[in-house]
Amino acid sequence: MGVYTGPVQNLIDELGRLPGVGPKSAQRIAFYLLKVDEVDASRLADAITEVKAKVGFCDRCFNISQGDNCEICLDDRRDPSVICVVEEPRDVVAVERTQEFSGRYHVLQGAIDHLQGVGPDQLRIKELIARIGAENITEVIICTNPNIEGEATALYLSRVLDAPGLTVTRIASGLPVGGDLEYADELTLGRALEGRRRIGSGE
Amino acid sequence: MRVRRLWLTDFRNYRDADITLGGGFTVVVGPNGCGKTSLLEAIGYLARLESFRGATLDTMVRHGAGSSVIRAEAESRNRELLIEAELVPGGRSRCQLNRQPVRNGKELASLMQVSVFTPDDVLLVKGGPVHRRRFLDETLGTMHSRNLALRHDLERVLRQRNALLKQAGGRTNAEVEATLDVWDGRLAEVGEELAALRSQLVGRLQPVVGDVYGSLAESRAATGLTYRRGWAGDLLGALKGSRCEDLRRTVTTVGPQRDELDLVLGDLPARTHASQGEQRTLALSLRLAGHQVATETLGFAPVLLLDDVLSELDERRSRRLVGVLPEGQSIMTTAGALPEGDVHPELVLSLEAGRVR
Ligand SMILES: [Zn+2]
Repeated sequence: MGVYTGPVQNLIDELGRLPGVGPKSAQRIAFYLLKVDEVDASRLADAITEVKAKVGFCDRCFNISQGDNCEICLDDRRDPSVICVVEEPRDVVAVERTQEFSGRYHVLQGAIDHLQGVGPDQLRIKELIARIGAENITEVIICTNPNIEGEATALYLSRVLDAPGLTVTRIASGLPVGGDLEYADELTLGRALEGRRRIGSGE
Repeated sequence: MRVRRLWLTDFRNYRDADITLGGGFTVVVGPNGCGKTSLLEAIGYLARLESFRGATLDTMVRHGAGSSVIRAEAESRNRELLIEAELVPGGRSRCQLNRQPVRNGKELASLMQVSVFTPDDVLLVKGGPVHRRRFLDETLGTMHSRNLALRHDLERVLRQRNALLKQAGGRTNAEVEATLDVWDGRLAEVGEELAALRSQLVGRLQPVVGDVYGSLAESRAATGLTYRRGWAGDLLGALKGSRCEDLRRTVTTVGPQRDELDLVLGDLPARTHASQGEQRTLALSLRLAGHQVATETLGFAPVLLLDDVLSELDERRSRRLVGVLPEGQSIMTTAGALPEGDVHPELVLSLEAGRVR
């Protein structure tokens, strides 16, 4: 379907696969890259290769990590009994910025979104359930995005995380509805964490 | 509210236009294809961030240009508004209100309201129920921007539930059941709320539609509006009851996406039994009634946009329409002459090929 010669079209196709990049932007970026100095282009290529070689996901919480476990999982000062569940590694950064949370995390690596072919099975939910038993977790704070998919994921989790002695809470509303955690400012997100409420059958 | 001045850059066939509008009744005249409807479309875009003609960004941007800008100086709730929208096909379209970025359509919809009538609105009467549901939801959205979010949530929950049903492919297991439970709960919540609002709105529209139709058609034929929900009993129970059927048919078979608004004219269903002229007049009456109800709720009139409405009506009905136009700003396009008689628009804008003459 491509209209450009092989390598150029390949680049446009690859860029077009990136999130938030439409066909026109992909074309624009590709032609920009054709014009930049060779060193600059190589630096970008190397950065991608390096991040893929050196950075992976934590075996325990699925946050990004340079070793088998991430820095937060390895930090003994963290409260070992509380887990904050988020959708993506970038949400870990957002919660960390609030300085309101001292437990550990669990990154689902997405939210339930059947339109993208993501059901509960495609998320790290089984691993979360396993952790709760193995690590004697007493509280799970569900910190998924306040949009349709994030709320559905939270509700699903509240149904399957049903263990004796476990409290499941959801961050309070007050976050802009339909928004992303990523864009919430520290103060709002901090307040939402403080004002979390119990959900599910445990009440 | 009113839009005082409008600037269009590379929008449709407007290269660069600066248009001052009247605060009352403005008539926009000009030959077909000169950009009359586009002018209304631009105002509508600022209220809803989408085209009421269902046009894509690509079609709205002038041929050969990379983007368009719609800018308007308006006044609402005693507040001066400068609204600027940049339409970028395939890129990031932006919108600013008084030089501050607008985050979503809801924020804008709470400040800028329009009621729109187009010749396609005859489908409100003779088309399928989807047109009437959209009419009710659009009117609710004009009355309160919160209702727009509700409609949007409903669509997303339904799309998710239907996608899950498709992926399940007629088979079910514990995970599918648990996920369906989650979506059913959400759908019931959103669906019940929207249905209650639709039902309340129909109750308010009923007498107004009768009045407007009576004065436009000079007819005593009674109009009737009946709202029917797309399920029986409570929605959560109905969803549980239809789960097997839904899994088999891989689509959600109960809910507000199956609601209907029955229209009756003189004891007979208007969809099948009314004449073409009666259907057009009834469709226009629905829009004008929606405008009136929204005006009562808001405490001020939205901008009334009437596209090519006179071509829909005979001479007598045209004259009566102009006579019953509500207070507030209204903008009407026409390719022909205004009806004879006592018609005094505040302003007549003469257009030719994307320019004000
Ligand atoms: Zn970790």
